Amino acid sequence: MRTFFLLSAVLAATTLVLPAQAPGQNPSSISTQRRAGPPVGPVPRLPDGTVDLSGVWVGGGPINDIEREGGLPPGELDRLLLPSAKAIMAGRDVTQEPHNRCLPMGVPRTTPFPFRMVQTPTHKAATHIFILQEGNIHSYRQVFMDGRKHPPDPDPTWYGHSIGWWEKDTLVIDTVGYNDKFWFDRRGTPHTEQLHTIERWTRLDLGRMENKVTIDDPGAFSKPFTVTFMATLSPPGDELMEYICQENNQYGVHTIPGFNPLTGETKK
Amino acid sequence: MRSTVAFVLLAIVLCGPRSLIAHHSIAGEFDPSKPVTLKGQVTKIEWTNPHARIYVDVAQPNGSVVNWNIELAAVSALARNGWTRSALKVGDTVTVDGIHARSGAPIANARSVVLPDGRKVFSGAADQ
Repeated sequence: MRTFFLLSAVLAATTLVLPAQAPGQNPSSISTQRRAGPPVGPVPRLPDGTVDLSGVWVGGGPINDIEREGGLPPGELDRLLLPSAKAIMAGRDVTQEPHNRCLPMGVPRTTPFPFRMVQTPTHKAATHIFILQEGNIHSYRQVFMDGRKHPPDPDPTWYGHSIGWWEKDTLVIDTVGYNDKFWFDRRGTPHTEQLHTIERWTRLDLGRMENKVTIDDPGAFSKPFTVTFMATLSPPGDELMEYICQENNQYGVHTIPGFNPLTGETKK
Repeated sequence: MRSTVAFVLLAIVLCGPRSLIAHHSIAGEFDPSKPVTLKGQVTKIEWTNPHARIYVDVAQPNGSVVNWNIELAAVSALARNGWTRSALKVGDTVTVDGIHARSGAPIANARSVVLPDGRKVFSGAADQ
């Protein structure tokens, strides 16, 4: 059983960047990726030379397991988690995660469904970048690109307060002001309101964009760590589709509270 | 990269089709060790997120009928593979292979949905 889940996690991570499926894929698991792999070509640029992040992208963050999918050695997060955070994680019922109730997934988590980066230029440069996310709560992240600083005492929110700037061809997004309510992954990897994330988005070529995320949370981890994810461009013609998680969410109606699919045990 | 692709494809074949990616963990709700095969008439189609669903009246050996709730992929995933909500109609007879909900309720996560003429719907891409 454990092998199955380990394998599933690996497959979940790699399936996102692979060409799609053998015929007869089962109808409850059809991937949003289609047959062709990501297109190849040079990095596109805006007229002023800035990297153009436009496109419909898939991936770029963890889904099941931030440690494994982020490229860390097994057990690395267990070594970094503070005792208080470990206790929170151990007490979490993985069948009851907020994501299953259509609550926001926060940062840097993603879904199998695509997102768009929208740069809003003025006559000078982009003042905002919006990340439109099809899945989860079907909403957006707002990144301020106008040079402002973080407010001194932001209200804790699911997506925090994000400021961004370019370091050569890498978009840096610096975020504070998170609440502690979202889970980094399905395992329930926790964080606190002290969370500070630094994302470094680099479009490697036409079809691939790397997201290197530094997680700095002295309330949950003994030191900052960096996880790396890859987003790939959807085939041409793909658009974001509506995805209203709450319209018919039956998850949790018939689950067994406390059941951990990773161990097969039910916590009383 | 090629060996990774080969490994993953081999793993998919060995594991059998599984719902590896969903808005939630399938294995939390459904039991892969409890396969079910259901045959009956479609009574309702919900073309919704996070999962499209079909409801199927399944005759029991004792003559009663149980209406099963069959979970499919998200609408956006089905649509990107060319499926539309008109692929099935209320009244169609289908055979569903799936895995049973852990709670024992008449709910299944579908692995295949087959029409009487043998055509598979909602599986792979629509033009197959």
